[in-house]
Amino acid sequence: MNTDMIIPADAPITMDGCDTVVKLWAKRCHELGDKTAHREKELGVWQAYSWNDYYNGARNAALALSAMGLEKGQPVQILSEDRREWLYVDLGVAAMGAIPSGVYTTDSAGQLAYLVNDSGAPFLFVENDEQLDKFLEVRDEMPGLKKVIVFDRDGLATFSDPMVMFWDELMEMGEAEAKANPTKFTEALNAVKPNDPRMLIYTSGTTGPPKGALITHRNIMYQMFAGEQTIEFEQTDELLCFLPLCHVLERLISVEFPILAGCKVNFAESPETVFDNLREVSPHSFTGVPRIWEKVYSRITIMRSEAGWIGKTFLDWAIAAGMKKVEAMEEGKHLSFAGRLNLFLADLLVLRNLRQLVGLQRTRRCTTGAAPISPDLLRWFEAIGVHLLEGFGMTETSGVATVNTLGHNRIGTVGPAMPGTQVRISPEGEIQVGGPAVFGGYWNKPEKTAETMTEDGWLRTGDIGRIDNEGNLTITGRLKDIIITAGGKNITPAEIESKLKFSPYISDAVVIGDKRKYLTCLIMIDQENVERFAQERQIPYADFASLTRAKEVVDLIGKVVSDTNKEFAQVEQIKDFRLIDILLTAEDEELTPTMKLKRNYVNERHAGLIESMY
Amino acid sequence: MTKVLDIRNVETFYGAIMALRGVSLEVTEGEIVTILGANGAGKTTLMKTISGLMDPEKGMIEFNGENIVGKQPDEIVRRGLAHVPEGREVFPYLTIEENLKMGAYARKGADIRDDIDLVYDYFPILKERRSQSAGFLSGGQQQMLAIGRGLMAKPKLMLLDEPSLGLSPLLTQEIFAIIKRLNAEQKVTMLLVEQNANVALHTAHTGYVLEMGRIVMAGSCEELRASDDIQEFYLGRQEETQRGQKRWKRRKTWR
Repeated sequence: MNTDMIIPADAPITMDGCDTVVKLWAKRCHELGDKTAHREKELGVWQAYSWNDYYNGARNAALALSAMGLEKGQPVQILSEDRREWLYVDLGVAAMGAIPSGVYTTDSAGQLAYLVNDSGAPFLFVENDEQLDKFLEVRDEMPGLKKVIVFDRDGLATFSDPMVMFWDELMEMGEAEAKANPTKFTEALNAVKPNDPRMLIYTSGTTGPPKGALITHRNIMYQMFAGEQTIEFEQTDELLCFLPLCHVLERLISVEFPILAGCKVNFAESPETVFDNLREVSPHSFTGVPRIWEKVYSRITIMRSEAGWIGKTFLDWAIAAGMKKVEAMEEGKHLSFAGRLNLFLADLLVLRNLRQLVGLQRTRRCTTGAAPISPDLLRWFEAIGVHLLEGFGMTETSGVATVNTLGHNRIGTVGPAMPGTQVRISPEGEIQVGGPAVFGGYWNKPEKTAETMTEDGWLRTGDIGRIDNEGNLTITGRLKDIIITAGGKNITPAEIESKLKFSPYISDAVVIGDKRKYLTCLIMIDQENVERFAQERQIPYADFASLTRAKEVVDLIGKVVSDTNKEFAQVEQIKDFRLIDILLTAEDEELTPTMKLKRNYVNERHAGLIESMY
Repeated sequence: MTKVLDIRNVETFYGAIMALRGVSLEVTEGEIVTILGANGAGKTTLMKTISGLMDPEKGMIEFNGENIVGKQPDEIVRRGLAHVPEGREVFPYLTIEENLKMGAYARKGADIRDDIDLVYDYFPILKERRSQSAGFLSGGQQQMLAIGRGLMAKPKLMLLDEPSLGLSPLLTQEIFAIIKRLNAEQKVTMLLVEQNANVALHTAHTGYVLEMGRIVMAGSCEELRASDDIQEFYLGRQEETQRGQKRWKRRKTWR
């Protein structure tokens, strides 16, 4: 891989002869026609939808919106779980030169109003009655909104409102428009320029209100260009779409790359059924956030603890055989013949079944990103034969900036910069990114854009890290998160936190210690696994709060903390910890939609708990 | 305050189906504890497990400081635990008085007569119809008889399984007023399973919410009444929406 490649700022990036996502998409739709593009469950049965459905749905949505007054450059907000209509609207809106943008379904009505007003979107798509109620609650606060379109009519049979229409009505309207103006859609689609916005992504923002990041067609064309060389997709691949499409990573994986490769996307029924859907679909490649991988790991760990001694022995033997391979790989050596034979047997007898059990038997490659993951977890997956590769990127780098590849996986690093992207470390230790992946600026916030760019046009990521002599990047933490203890020591909490999270009993942790004498930690326990632990040992508990207070549970976590402490220096020792005694959900402000604890909110909301440790 | 009942991590199965998935709860002397839960949550299974009609696969049940897991139901009754079953289950061909005497079957002594009079004090209608067959009683009267029969065992703890089942709202009020009086005046400790959350939360002192065989919430009845989840899922409060109707449910957080 050529990491020194530089793509000039004005050079066109084309894939398959197309310089915008929408052109490439239209081309794929015409080529693949009746072949399956998407699969979605309806009343529990998988249904297939073709590339023609994709094209027509997007065209109808686009023409109907245009007839109602949507203009080039205007954002359109989509508040829905992942489903095919989401993509129809996404591509239709982009084809008209307008800007699709997603709202998390866990956002409150107030947050919805903020996003609609900040973007100035004249149109809002909502999934169902539940999401519609959010609009109705704050409709007076959103004067710029012209029309709201509902995907799902269930529970709204008698509902009517002049500002609200339904998906089927929109489709009919678009169909009629397409008959009246057969060339309008293609003309608009071809008029879109590479530097026009492809999408608007609101960053969750742990500080201050969310900011909208504009990602251009050229950004995405570059991601496709670089993706083709680093991660492989084939037309016969099955993918599973389950992370929120409002997030840039899922958009890349489930919308843009499938357009390039022409592969099939299966939509998970709901965030709760991901693991079942994973087994049903058995995707060829799979991208998850660390939390998902932690869950898979803890499921298998728990299964092991419930198995008899024969099962346990076999599993331990098989994983140890896999670990030998990982060790050899990390030392750059080849596994001995005996080791290979051992691994072959382990794979045949145990590991293959294990992969089948979690639905990863067909995956050629798995990727993880969006949050730090423990290197031990990556090794463990490699050992069971799941090639889990870590990458790094953010909304402002239009998704991916660096990534490990199958042929070049350095566990513990996030890999080298993608071909055409440059990464450097500033004198303060901050990671800075240059090249065609760098986004097009924040929506209506030029001062914020200026703050986030260096004078010579590189992006300040806000992360700190180092680059080794092979060019691999290692992230050590967030610039803002650096803890300076009262003793004046600089500590990056991310490394400690990701070690803690490797325990199946800890779902997330926040290390505290800024301007304090010593470090402490707030811990969110993993409900499922800790309940099972309590159950097996006959520890009485009634609800979640009493579970976190049980002495045995506190001791269990204390053991994890003291084990973690052994791996860190004297100043990095966690002296005390507390368990968060309420079960947090994605709707709580302390959690991001990807279920990460937000440091600032946690510090505020649990100030009492924190003070009790000092 | 002494613990009358202490249940720890009880798991009960119907064949392969796990009905109770680790339930822990306590009842202290003199209080009414209620267990709320939807159909199939495991409430009745829990009651049957306590009174020995079903045996738990795992876990411990301490009654007055002694483990009663695996003991026969009659022995548990002798130790002072009376079970007023769901659907009343009175003996239809026996008279009311005979039914009451059956309640004292496990007891010896001369004060049985006084206790029958005590039951008649609380439920005068039973006295009026004492020599009629219990099968001729109305549903509410049969419930009174079932409670009265339970009282005849002079229990240290009385399990009440859905006393409001099939009763009119007015009768429900009446029965619960008596339950409250029995607790206040006769110091009967009770564990009450009830679908009518409103009346149960106004009668009991502490409460547990059982869902899918697991306790999801515990607290004093005032705390439970104040919880948003209890209000929406058990007390039927409807949040006002702009459309005037609402089909979707909020996500339960149990806090």
